Amino acid sequence: MKWLDEPQDEAERLVREGLDLAKHRLGDELMHRRVWAKVAEAVEMPEPRSKRRWVWTSAAATLLAAAGLFAYVRFYRVTSLPTPTVATNPTPSTAPLPGTSASTAIGSGTEVVPLESERAPGHVIRTREGERVRVALGGGATAELEEKSSMTWDSQHRPAIEKGIAHLAVPHQPPGWRFSVTAGPYVVTVVGTKFEVHVSNRTVGVDVTEGVVEVWRNSHATRLAAGESWDGPLYPDEAASASSEAAASASSAAPERPQPLPATAKPLSSVTARSLQEAETALQAGDAAKAVEILSRTAQGTGPAAENAAYELGHITRYNLNRPRQAVALWDKYRNRFPNGLLRTETDLSIVETL
Amino acid sequence: MGPNQYTKTPLPGPTVIADTELVQACRGGDVVAWRSLYDRYAPLVHRFASALGVPAEEREDAVQDIFIAVFRSLKHFRGEAQLSTWIYRIAARHAIRLGRRRRARETMRVTMMKEKTPIVTDPSERSTQLATLDRMLGKLPPKKRTVLVLFEIEGLSAKEISDVVGCPENTVWSRLHHARSEMVKAARRMAS
Repeated sequence: MKWLDEPQDEAERLVREGLDLAKHRLGDELMHRRVWAKVAEAVEMPEPRSKRRWVWTSAAATLLAAAGLFAYVRFYRVTSLPTPTVATNPTPSTAPLPGTSASTAIGSGTEVVPLESERAPGHVIRTREGERVRVALGGGATAELEEKSSMTWDSQHRPAIEKGIAHLAVPHQPPGWRFSVTAGPYVVTVVGTKFEVHVSNRTVGVDVTEGVVEVWRNSHATRLAAGESWDGPLYPDEAASASSEAAASASSAAPERPQPLPATAKPLSSVTARSLQEAETALQAGDAAKAVEILSRTAQGTGPAAENAAYELGHITRYNLNRPRQAVALWDKYRNRFPNGLLRTETDLSIVETL
Repeated sequence: MGPNQYTKTPLPGPTVIADTELVQACRGGDVVAWRSLYDRYAPLVHRFASALGVPAEEREDAVQDIFIAVFRSLKHFRGEAQLSTWIYRIAARHAIRLGRRRRARETMRVTMMKEKTPIVTDPSERSTQLATLDRMLGKLPPKKRTVLVLFEIEGLSAKEISDVVGCPENTVWSRLHHARSEMVKAARRMAS
Protein backbone atom coordinates (compact mmCIF):
# COMPACT_ATOMS: atom_id res chain seq x y z
CA MET A 1 0.00 0.00 0.00
CA LYS A 2 1.33 3.37 -1.05
CA TRP A 3 1.46 6.54 0.98
CA LEU A 4 -1.78 8.54 0.59
CA ASP A 5 -3.42 5.76 -1.37
CA GLU A 6 -6.55 6.69 0.46
CA PRO A 7 -6.43 10.50 0.63
CA GLN A 8 -8.25 12.18 3.47
CA ASP A 9 -8.68 15.50 1.72
CA GLU A 10 -8.11 17.38 -1.51
CA ALA A 11 -4.52 18.31 -0.58
CA GLU A 12 -3.51 14.71 -0.03
CA ARG A 13 -5.14 13.69 -3.30
CA LEU A 14 -3.22 16.43 -5.07
CA VAL A 15 0.06 15.16 -3.65
CA ARG A 16 -0.65 11.54 -4.54
CA GLU A 17 -1.66 12.35 -8.09
CA GLY A 18 1.35 14.57 -8.52
CA LEU A 19 3.68 11.82 -7.32
CA ASP A 20 2.09 9.25 -9.61
CA LEU A 21 2.36 11.57 -12.57
CA ALA A 22 5.97 12.36 -11.75
CA LYS A 23 6.87 8.70 -12.20
CA HIS A 24 6.15 9.04 -15.90
CA ARG A 25 8.25 12.13 -16.43
CA LEU A 26 10.91 10.13 -18.26
CA GLY A 27 11.68 12.54 -21.07
CA ASP A 28 10.96 12.04 -24.73
CA GLU A 29 12.88 9.88 -27.16
CA LEU A 30 14.06 12.83 -29.23
CA MET A 31 15.54 14.56 -26.23
CA HIS A 32 17.41 11.39 -25.20
CA ARG A 33 18.85 10.97 -28.67
CA ARG A 34 20.00 14.56 -28.62
CA VAL A 35 21.63 14.13 -25.24
CA TRP A 36 23.31 10.87 -26.32
CA ALA A 37 24.81 12.61 -29.33
CA LYS A 38 26.33 15.23 -27.05
CA VAL A 39 27.48 12.68 -24.48
CA ALA A 40 29.10 10.45 -27.11
CA GLU A 41 30.86 13.48 -28.51
CA ALA A 42 32.02 14.74 -25.14
CA VAL A 43 33.19 11.45 -23.75
CA GLU A 44 36.21 10.10 -25.52
CA MET A 45 35.30 6.50 -26.07
CA PRO A 46 38.17 4.26 -24.99
CA GLU A 47 39.55 1.83 -27.51
CA PRO A 48 38.73 -1.84 -27.04
CA ARG A 49 41.08 -3.49 -24.57
CA SER A 50 42.49 -5.90 -27.14
CA LYS A 51 43.43 -3.03 -29.39
CA ARG A 52 44.98 -1.13 -26.51
CA ARG A 53 46.98 -4.22 -25.57
CA TRP A 54 48.22 -4.49 -29.14
CA VAL A 55 49.30 -0.85 -29.06
CA TRP A 56 51.15 -1.36 -25.79
CA THR A 57 52.81 -4.53 -27.06
CA SER A 58 54.02 -2.85 -30.22
CA ALA A 59 55.23 0.16 -28.25
CA ALA A 60 57.16 -2.10 -25.88
CA ALA A 61 58.64 -4.04 -28.80
CA THR A 62 59.73 -0.82 -30.48
CA LEU A 63 61.34 0.40 -27.28
CA LEU A 64 63.15 -2.90 -26.81
CA ALA A 65 64.40 -2.84 -30.38
CA ALA A 66 65.61 0.74 -29.97
CA ALA A 67 67.35 -0.12 -26.70
CA GLY A 68 68.96 -3.16 -28.31
CA LEU A 69 70.18 -1.13 -31.25
CA PHE A 70 71.53 1.55 -28.96
CA ALA A 71 73.31 -1.03 -26.79
CA TYR A 72 74.75 -2.74 -29.88
CA VAL A 73 76.08 0.49 -31.34
CA ARG A 74 77.34 1.71 -28.00
CA PHE A 75 79.05 -1.47 -26.79
CA TYR A 76 80.23 -2.57 -30.21
CA ARG A 77 82.23 0.60 -30.42
CA VAL A 78 83.50 0.34 -26.90
CA THR A 79 84.70 -3.22 -27.27
CA SER A 80 86.08 -2.97 -30.76
CA LEU A 81 88.09 0.17 -30.16
CA PRO A 82 90.53 1.01 -27.41
CA THR A 83 89.92 3.80 -24.97
CA PRO A 84 89.56 6.94 -27.04
CA THR A 85 92.15 9.62 -26.75
CA VAL A 86 92.38 12.77 -28.70
CA ALA A 87 94.89 12.96 -31.52
CA THR A 88 95.71 9.28 -31.65
CA ASN A 89 94.61 6.71 -34.18
CA PRO A 90 92.13 3.94 -33.75
CA THR A 91 93.91 0.65 -33.37
CA PRO A 92 93.89 -1.29 -36.62
CA SER A 93 91.56 -4.19 -36.28
CA THR A 94 93.79 -6.80 -37.78
CA ALA A 95 96.72 -8.94 -36.70
CA PRO A 96 100.32 -8.48 -37.84
CA LEU A 97 101.34 -10.05 -41.04
CA PRO A 98 102.98 -13.43 -40.63
CA GLY A 99 106.61 -13.02 -39.86
CA THR A 100 106.41 -9.32 -39.19
CA SER A 101 109.76 -8.07 -40.25
CA ALA A 102 111.27 -4.77 -41.07
CA SER A 103 109.29 -4.49 -44.24
CA THR A 104 106.64 -6.13 -46.39
CA ALA A 105 106.91 -6.35 -50.11
CA ILE A 106 103.71 -5.90 -52.03
CA GLY A 107 102.78 -7.59 -55.25
CA SER A 108 101.89 -5.68 -58.35
CA GLY A 109 98.48 -4.15 -58.89
CA THR A 110 96.07 -2.55 -56.43
CA GLU A 111 95.10 -4.86 -53.62
CA VAL A 112 93.92 -4.71 -50.07
CA VAL A 113 96.53 -5.64 -47.58
CA PRO A 114 94.86 -7.43 -44.72
CA LEU A 115 96.02 -6.34 -41.32
CA GLU A 116 95.23 -8.76 -38.57
CA SER A 117 96.35 -6.84 -35.53
CA GLU A 118 98.04 -3.71 -34.47
CA ARG A 119 100.89 -2.71 -36.68
CA ALA A 120 104.20 -2.88 -34.92
CA PRO A 121 106.14 0.38 -34.94
CA GLY A 122 108.78 0.23 -37.59
CA HIS A 123 106.92 -2.15 -39.85
CA VAL A 124 107.21 -0.89 -43.41
CA ILE A 125 105.05 -1.39 -46.48
CA ARG A 126 106.79 -0.60 -49.74
CA THR A 127 105.54 -0.52 -53.31
CA ARG A 128 107.78 -1.05 -56.30
CA GLU A 129 107.49 0.50 -59.73
CA GLY A 130 104.09 -0.13 -61.27
CA GLU A 131 102.61 -1.30 -57.94
CA ARG A 132 99.72 0.22 -56.06
CA VAL A 133 98.38 -1.00 -52.78
CA ARG A 134 95.51 -0.15 -50.52
CA VAL A 135 96.19 -0.48 -46.81
CA ALA A 136 93.52 -0.79 -44.17
CA LEU A 137 94.47 1.48 -41.31
CA GLY A 138 91.76 0.72 -38.81
CA GLY A 139 88.82 2.87 -37.88
CA GLY A 140 87.60 2.39 -41.45
CA ALA A 141 90.44 4.50 -42.86
CA THR A 142 92.36 3.35 -45.91
CA ALA A 143 95.53 4.54 -47.54
CA GLU A 144 96.25 3.86 -51.16
CA LEU A 145 99.96 3.85 -51.78
CA GLU A 146 101.09 4.73 -55.26
CA GLU A 147 104.15 3.15 -56.87
CA LYS A 148 107.56 3.62 -55.30
CA SER A 149 106.01 4.64 -51.98
CA SER A 150 106.60 3.44 -48.48
CA MET A 151 104.61 3.60 -45.32
CA THR A 152 105.39 2.65 -41.76
CA TRP A 153 103.99 3.05 -38.23
CA ASP A 154 105.55 5.32 -35.68
CA SER A 155 106.03 4.72 -31.99
CA GLN A 156 102.46 5.91 -31.31
CA HIS A 157 101.14 3.42 -33.86
CA ARG A 158 100.28 6.21 -36.26
CA PRO A 159 100.74 5.48 -39.92
CA ALA A 160 103.66 7.44 -41.32
CA ILE A 161 104.19 8.16 -44.99
CA GLU A 162 107.91 7.83 -45.53
CA LYS A 163 108.09 8.29 -49.25
CA GLY A 164 105.89 8.58 -52.29
CA ILE A 165 102.21 9.35 -52.49
CA ALA A 166 99.41 8.04 -50.30
CA HIS A 167 95.75 8.77 -50.93
CA LEU A 168 93.93 8.57 -47.63
CA ALA A 169 90.23 8.16 -47.10
CA VAL A 170 89.10 8.57 -43.52
CA PRO A 171 85.45 8.07 -42.66
CA HIS A 172 83.91 10.17 -39.93
CA GLN A 173 85.58 8.91 -36.81
CA PRO A 174 83.77 7.50 -33.79
CA PRO A 175 83.12 9.93 -30.95
CA GLY A 176 86.36 10.87 -29.26
CA TRP A 177 88.61 9.84 -32.12
CA ARG A 178 90.93 11.82 -34.29
CA PHE A 179 92.83 10.19 -37.11
CA SER A 180 96.45 11.18 -37.52
CA VAL A 181 99.04 10.33 -40.10
CA THR A 182 102.61 11.57 -40.01
CA ALA A 183 104.75 12.68 -42.89
CA GLY A 184 108.28 13.61 -41.97
CA PRO A 185 108.10 16.06 -39.07
CA TYR A 186 104.43 16.87 -39.74
CA VAL A 187 101.34 15.32 -38.25
CA VAL A 188 98.16 15.52 -40.30
CA THR A 189 95.11 15.31 -38.05
CA VAL A 190 91.60 14.74 -39.34
CA VAL A 191 88.19 13.78 -38.15
CA GLY A 192 86.79 12.47 -41.40
CA THR A 193 87.97 13.38 -44.86
CA LYS A 194 89.79 12.40 -48.05
CA PHE A 195 93.22 13.74 -48.67
CA GLU A 196 96.54 12.94 -50.23
CA VAL A 197 99.95 13.01 -48.63
CA HIS A 198 103.03 12.99 -50.83
CA VAL A 199 106.56 12.86 -49.57
CA SER A 200 109.46 13.47 -51.88
CA ASN A 201 113.15 13.65 -51.07
CA ARG A 202 112.82 17.24 -50.01
CA THR A 203 109.17 18.11 -49.50
CA VAL A 204 105.98 16.96 -47.90
CA GLY A 205 102.65 17.92 -49.47
CA VAL A 206 99.01 17.55 -48.49
CA ASP A 207 96.08 17.93 -50.91
CA VAL A 208 92.63 17.89 -49.32
CA THR A 209 89.74 16.50 -51.36
CA GLU A 210 87.02 16.52 -48.71
CA GLY A 211 86.66 17.76 -45.15
CA VAL A 212 89.20 19.59 -43.07
CA VAL A 213 92.68 18.58 -42.00
CA GLU A 214 95.28 20.17 -39.80
CA VAL A 215 98.99 19.87 -40.46
CA TRP A 216 100.97 20.11 -37.28
CA ARG A 217 104.65 20.56 -36.63
CA ASN A 218 105.56 20.95 -33.00
CA SER A 219 103.20 23.66 -31.84
CA HIS A 220 102.58 25.17 -35.27
CA ALA A 221 99.54 24.17 -37.24
CA THR A 222 98.02 24.90 -40.60
CA ARG A 223 94.43 24.13 -41.33
CA LEU A 224 93.37 23.08 -44.80
CA ALA A 225 89.86 22.88 -46.15
CA ALA A 226 88.64 20.88 -49.12
CA GLY A 227 90.39 21.86 -52.34
CA GLU A 228 93.35 23.38 -50.55
CA SER A 229 96.95 22.20 -50.77
CA TRP A 230 99.95 22.66 -48.62
CA ASP A 231 103.55 21.59 -48.89
CA GLY A 232 106.58 22.13 -46.76
CA PRO A 233 110.18 21.02 -46.59
CA LEU A 234 110.90 17.50 -45.45
CA TYR A 235 113.76 18.84 -43.34
CA PRO A 236 112.62 22.28 -42.17
CA ASP A 237 115.72 23.04 -40.15
CA GLU A 238 118.02 22.33 -43.06
CA ALA A 239 115.66 24.23 -45.32
CA ALA A 240 115.81 27.25 -43.07
CA SER A 241 119.58 27.41 -43.16
CA ALA A 242 119.63 26.64 -46.85
CA SER A 243 117.18 29.38 -47.57
CA SER A 244 119.36 31.91 -45.82
CA GLU A 245 122.27 30.74 -47.91
CA ALA A 246 120.10 30.88 -50.98
CA ALA A 247 119.22 34.41 -50.23
CA ALA A 248 122.87 35.23 -50.38
CA SER A 249 123.98 33.13 -53.29
CA ALA A 250 120.72 32.22 -55.03
CA SER A 251 122.09 28.75 -55.29
CA SER A 252 119.94 25.70 -55.93
CA ALA A 253 120.70 24.17 -52.54
CA ALA A 254 117.52 25.60 -51.06
CA PRO A 255 114.36 23.48 -50.85
CA GLU A 256 111.97 23.73 -53.71
CA ARG A 257 109.43 25.62 -51.59
CA PRO A 258 110.51 26.63 -48.09
CA GLN A 259 107.33 26.01 -46.06
CA PRO A 260 104.96 28.17 -48.05
CA LEU A 261 101.41 28.40 -46.80
CA PRO A 262 98.63 28.39 -49.35
CA ALA A 263 96.78 31.64 -49.76
CA THR A 264 93.55 30.15 -48.49
CA ALA A 265 95.05 28.28 -45.58
CA LYS A 266 94.67 29.91 -42.19
CA PRO A 267 97.73 29.66 -39.98
CA LEU A 268 97.25 29.51 -36.26
CA SER A 269 99.37 31.79 -34.16
CA SER A 270 102.00 30.09 -32.06
CA VAL A 271 100.40 31.37 -28.85
CA THR A 272 97.05 29.93 -29.85
CA ALA A 273 98.59 26.70 -31.02
CA ARG A 274 100.37 26.49 -27.68
CA SER A 275 97.06 26.98 -25.90
CA LEU A 276 95.49 24.21 -27.91
CA GLN A 277 98.50 22.04 -27.21
CA GLU A 278 98.18 22.77 -23.49
CA ALA A 279 94.50 21.91 -23.61
CA GLU A 280 95.31 18.66 -25.33
CA THR A 281 98.01 17.86 -22.80
CA ALA A 282 95.62 18.57 -19.94
CA LEU A 283 93.04 16.36 -21.58
CA GLN A 284 95.48 13.52 -22.00
CA ALA A 285 96.39 13.91 -18.34
CA GLY A 286 92.72 13.49 -17.53
CA ASP A 287 92.21 17.08 -16.49
CA ALA A 288 89.22 17.90 -18.68
CA ALA A 289 88.25 20.87 -16.53
CA LYS A 290 91.59 22.55 -17.17
CA ALA A 291 91.29 21.83 -20.89
CA VAL A 292 87.85 23.42 -20.88
CA GLU A 293 89.20 26.44 -19.06
CA ILE A 294 91.99 26.93 -21.59
CA LEU A 295 89.69 26.39 -24.55
CA SER A 296 87.04 28.72 -23.14
CA ARG A 297 89.64 31.43 -22.91
CA THR A 298 90.79 30.78 -26.44
CA ALA A 299 87.26 30.60 -27.78
CA GLN A 300 86.58 34.12 -26.57
CA GLY A 301 89.01 35.42 -29.15
CA THR A 302 88.53 35.64 -32.87
CA GLY A 303 89.75 33.84 -35.94
CA PRO A 304 90.46 30.21 -36.55
CA ALA A 305 91.88 29.66 -33.06
CA ALA A 306 88.61 30.72 -31.45
CA GLU A 307 86.72 28.63 -33.95
CA ASN A 308 88.80 25.57 -33.23
CA ALA A 309 88.50 26.07 -29.49
CA ALA A 310 84.76 26.60 -29.74
CA TYR A 311 84.38 23.29 -31.52
CA GLU A 312 86.74 21.47 -29.17
CA LEU A 313 84.80 22.76 -26.16
CA GLY A 314 81.73 20.90 -27.35
CA HIS A 315 83.83 17.85 -28.09
CA ILE A 316 85.35 17.67 -24.63
CA THR A 317 82.04 18.44 -22.94
CA ARG A 318 80.43 15.59 -24.83
CA TYR A 319 83.08 12.89 -24.67
CA ASN A 320 85.16 13.72 -21.62
CA LEU A 321 82.69 15.39 -19.32
CA ASN A 322 79.82 13.29 -20.66
CA ARG A 323 77.35 16.16 -20.82
CA PRO A 324 75.63 15.68 -24.19
CA ARG A 325 72.99 18.36 -23.70
CA GLN A 326 75.56 20.99 -22.81
CA ALA A 327 77.78 19.85 -25.68
CA VAL A 328 74.99 20.31 -28.19
CA ALA A 329 74.41 23.80 -26.79
CA LEU A 330 78.10 24.60 -27.22
CA TRP A 331 78.12 23.28 -30.77
CA ASP A 332 75.02 25.31 -31.49
CA LYS A 333 76.87 28.31 -30.20
CA TYR A 334 79.71 27.46 -32.55
CA ARG A 335 77.29 27.24 -35.48
CA ASN A 336 75.80 30.61 -34.65
CA ARG A 337 79.22 32.23 -34.31
CA PHE A 338 80.81 30.55 -37.31
CA PRO A 339 77.99 29.76 -39.73
CA ASN A 340 80.51 29.18 -42.52
CA GLY A 341 83.26 27.79 -40.30
CA LEU A 342 85.63 25.15 -41.53
CA LEU A 343 84.47 22.79 -38.81
CA ARG A 344 80.82 23.41 -39.55
CA THR A 345 80.29 19.97 -41.12
CA GLU A 346 82.03 18.26 -38.23
CA THR A 347 79.89 20.22 -35.81
CA ASP A 348 76.70 19.22 -37.59
CA LEU A 349 77.75 15.59 -37.60
CA SER A 350 78.71 15.73 -33.94
CA ILE A 351 75.31 17.20 -33.06
CA VAL A 352 73.52 14.53 -35.06
CA GLU A 353 75.58 11.80 -33.42
CA THR A 354 74.92 13.18 -29.97
CA LEU A 355 71.21 13.57 -30.55
CA MET B 1 2.77 4.33 11.16
CA GLY B 2 5.94 2.23 11.52
CA PRO B 3 8.64 1.86 8.96
CA ASN B 4 7.51 -1.63 7.98
CA GLN B 5 4.18 -0.34 6.80
CA TYR B 6 5.79 1.54 3.93
CA THR B 7 5.78 -0.16 0.61
CA LYS B 8 7.86 0.58 -2.44
CA THR B 9 7.32 0.11 -6.09
CA PRO B 10 9.66 -2.43 -7.71
CA LEU B 11 12.80 -0.97 -9.16
CA PRO B 12 12.40 -0.60 -12.90
CA GLY B 13 15.13 -1.66 -15.23
CA PRO B 14 17.69 -4.42 -15.38
CA THR B 15 18.80 -7.00 -12.90
CA VAL B 16 22.04 -6.66 -11.00
CA ILE B 17 23.72 -9.32 -13.14
CA ALA B 18 22.82 -7.59 -16.34
CA ASP B 19 24.18 -4.34 -14.97
CA THR B 20 27.40 -6.02 -13.96
CA GLU B 21 27.86 -7.43 -17.44
CA LEU B 22 27.04 -4.06 -18.92
CA VAL B 23 29.65 -2.37 -16.77
CA GLN B 24 32.26 -4.95 -17.79
CA ALA B 25 31.45 -4.40 -21.46
CA CYS B 26 31.63 -0.62 -21.04
CA ARG B 27 35.01 -0.93 -19.34
CA GLY B 28 36.15 -3.04 -22.28
CA GLY B 29 35.34 -0.17 -24.59
CA ASP B 30 32.18 -1.62 -26.08
CA VAL B 31 30.36 1.37 -27.56
CA VAL B 32 27.13 -0.59 -27.89
CA ALA B 33 27.27 -1.28 -24.16
CA TRP B 34 27.75 2.43 -23.48
CA ARG B 35 24.66 3.16 -25.51
CA SER B 36 22.69 0.39 -23.74
CA LEU B 37 23.65 1.81 -20.38
CA TYR B 38 22.56 5.26 -21.47
CA ASP B 39 19.26 3.99 -22.86
CA ARG B 40 18.59 2.09 -19.66
CA TYR B 41 19.28 4.88 -17.23
CA ALA B 42 18.72 8.14 -19.11
CA PRO B 43 14.93 8.16 -18.46
CA LEU B 44 15.50 7.51 -14.77
CA VAL B 45 18.07 10.26 -14.55
CA HIS B 46 15.75 12.62 -16.38
CA ARG B 47 12.88 11.86 -14.03
CA PHE B 48 15.10 12.15 -10.97
CA ALA B 49 16.54 15.48 -12.11
CA SER B 50 13.06 16.79 -12.82
CA ALA B 51 11.83 15.81 -9.39
CA LEU B 52 14.85 17.39 -7.74
CA GLY B 53 13.85 20.70 -9.27
CA VAL B 54 16.12 21.02 -12.29
CA PRO B 55 14.12 23.35 -14.56
CA ALA B 56 13.06 22.15 -17.98
CA GLU B 57 15.48 24.43 -19.81
CA GLU B 58 18.43 23.05 -17.85
CA ARG B 59 17.32 19.43 -17.73
CA GLU B 60 18.86 18.32 -20.99
CA ASP B 61 22.25 19.74 -20.06
CA ALA B 62 21.98 18.26 -16.59
CA VAL B 63 21.33 14.76 -17.96
CA GLN B 64 24.23 15.20 -20.33
CA ASP B 65 26.60 16.29 -17.54
CA ILE B 66 25.49 13.46 -15.30
CA PHE B 67 26.15 10.84 -17.97
CA ILE B 68 29.50 12.29 -18.85
CA ALA B 69 30.40 12.03 -15.17
CA VAL B 70 29.10 8.46 -15.09
CA PHE B 71 31.12 7.40 -18.13
CA ARG B 72 34.28 9.05 -16.95
CA SER B 73 34.13 7.53 -13.49
CA LEU B 74 32.80 4.11 -14.41
CA LYS B 75 36.27 2.67 -13.97
CA HIS B 76 36.01 3.56 -10.30
CA PHE B 77 32.71 1.73 -9.86
CA ARG B 78 33.57 -1.18 -7.58
CA GLY B 79 30.26 -3.01 -7.87
CA GLU B 80 29.62 -2.93 -4.11
CA ALA B 81 26.32 -1.11 -4.68
CA GLN B 82 23.88 -1.43 -7.50
CA LEU B 83 24.72 0.51 -10.62
CA SER B 84 21.42 2.39 -10.35
CA THR B 85 22.24 3.44 -6.78
CA TRP B 86 25.62 4.69 -7.91
CA ILE B 87 24.10 6.65 -10.81
CA TYR B 88 21.47 8.14 -8.50
CA ARG B 89 24.24 9.29 -6.19
CA ILE B 90 26.02 11.11 -9.01
CA ALA B 91 22.74 12.58 -10.24
CA ALA B 92 21.67 13.73 -6.77
CA ARG B 93 24.95 15.52 -6.17
CA HIS B 94 24.78 17.19 -9.55
CA ALA B 95 21.16 18.25 -9.14
CA ILE B 96 21.77 19.64 -5.65
CA ARG B 97 24.79 21.54 -6.94
CA LEU B 98 22.73 22.97 -9.78
CA GLY B 99 19.97 23.93 -7.34
CA ARG B 100 22.47 25.71 -5.12
CA ARG B 101 23.83 27.68 -8.08
CA ARG B 102 20.33 28.51 -9.25
CA ARG B 103 19.32 29.81 -5.85
CA ALA B 104 22.49 31.89 -5.66
CA ARG B 105 21.73 33.35 -9.08
CA GLU B 106 18.16 34.16 -8.07
CA THR B 107 19.32 35.79 -4.86
CA MET B 108 21.76 37.89 -6.81
CA ARG B 109 19.13 38.90 -9.28
CA VAL B 110 16.68 39.86 -6.55
CA THR B 111 19.19 41.82 -4.50
CA MET B 112 21.13 43.47 -7.30
CA MET B 113 18.48 44.03 -9.95
CA LYS B 114 15.49 44.31 -7.66
CA GLU B 115 13.73 41.89 -9.99
CA LYS B 116 11.16 39.44 -8.84
CA THR B 117 12.07 35.81 -9.43
CA PRO B 118 10.11 34.58 -12.43
CA ILE B 119 8.10 31.44 -12.03
CA VAL B 120 9.57 28.95 -14.44
CA THR B 121 7.05 26.66 -15.95
CA ASP B 122 7.66 23.74 -18.22
CA PRO B 123 5.79 24.32 -21.46
CA SER B 124 5.93 20.62 -22.25
CA GLU B 125 4.23 19.76 -18.99
CA ARG B 126 0.69 20.84 -19.19
CA SER B 127 -0.32 18.90 -16.16
CA THR B 128 -1.37 21.18 -13.36
CA GLN B 129 -0.71 18.44 -10.85
CA LEU B 130 2.91 18.21 -11.92
CA ALA B 131 3.38 21.96 -11.68
CA THR B 132 1.75 21.91 -8.25
CA LEU B 133 3.92 19.01 -7.16
CA ASP B 134 7.08 20.83 -8.25
CA ARG B 135 6.04 23.88 -6.25
CA MET B 136 5.37 21.73 -3.19
CA LEU B 137 8.68 19.88 -3.57
CA GLY B 138 10.37 23.23 -3.97
CA LYS B 139 9.33 24.11 -0.42
CA LEU B 140 11.32 21.17 0.97
CA PRO B 141 14.97 21.37 1.99
CA PRO B 142 17.22 19.53 -0.50
CA LYS B 143 18.06 16.59 1.80
CA LYS B 144 14.43 15.85 2.65
CA ARG B 145 13.38 16.39 -0.93
CA THR B 146 15.98 13.92 -2.19
CA VAL B 147 14.82 11.23 0.22
CA LEU B 148 11.17 11.79 -0.61
CA VAL B 149 11.78 11.70 -4.36
CA LEU B 150 13.94 8.59 -4.15
CA PHE B 151 11.35 6.77 -2.07
CA GLU B 152 8.05 7.95 -3.53
CA ILE B 153 8.95 8.52 -7.17
CA GLU B 154 12.05 6.43 -7.85
CA GLY B 155 10.90 3.57 -5.67
CA LEU B 156 14.16 2.90 -3.84
CA SER B 157 14.26 1.13 -0.49
CA ALA B 158 15.48 2.88 2.67
CA LYS B 159 18.72 0.86 2.44
CA GLU B 160 19.33 1.96 -1.13
CA ILE B 161 18.50 5.56 -0.27
CA SER B 162 20.95 5.43 2.61
CA ASP B 163 23.59 4.30 0.09
CA VAL B 164 22.70 7.14 -2.28
CA VAL B 165 22.61 9.96 0.23
CA GLY B 166 25.25 8.53 2.54
CA CYS B 167 23.37 8.46 5.81
CA PRO B 168 22.01 5.75 8.13
CA GLU B 169 18.69 4.12 7.33
CA ASN B 170 17.07 5.62 10.43
CA THR B 171 17.95 9.06 9.20
CA VAL B 172 16.34 8.19 5.89
CA TRP B 173 13.13 7.22 7.63
CA SER B 174 13.23 10.36 9.74
CA ARG B 175 13.78 12.62 6.76
CA LEU B 176 11.04 10.85 4.85
CA HIS B 177 8.60 11.33 7.69
CA HIS B 178 9.31 15.04 7.96
CA ALA B 179 9.26 15.49 4.19
CA ARG B 180 5.85 13.87 3.92
CA SER B 181 4.42 16.03 6.70
CA GLU B 182 5.76 19.19 5.14
CA MET B 183 4.45 18.14 1.72
CA VAL B 184 0.93 17.65 3.02
CA LYS B 185 1.05 20.94 4.92
CA ALA B 186 2.23 22.74 1.80
CA ALA B 187 -0.50 21.06 -0.24
CA ARG B 188 -3.14 22.12 2.24
CA ARG B 189 -1.88 25.70 2.18
CA MET B 190 -2.01 25.72 -1.58
CA ALA B 191 -5.43 24.10 -1.71
CA SER B 192 -6.83 26.63 0.71
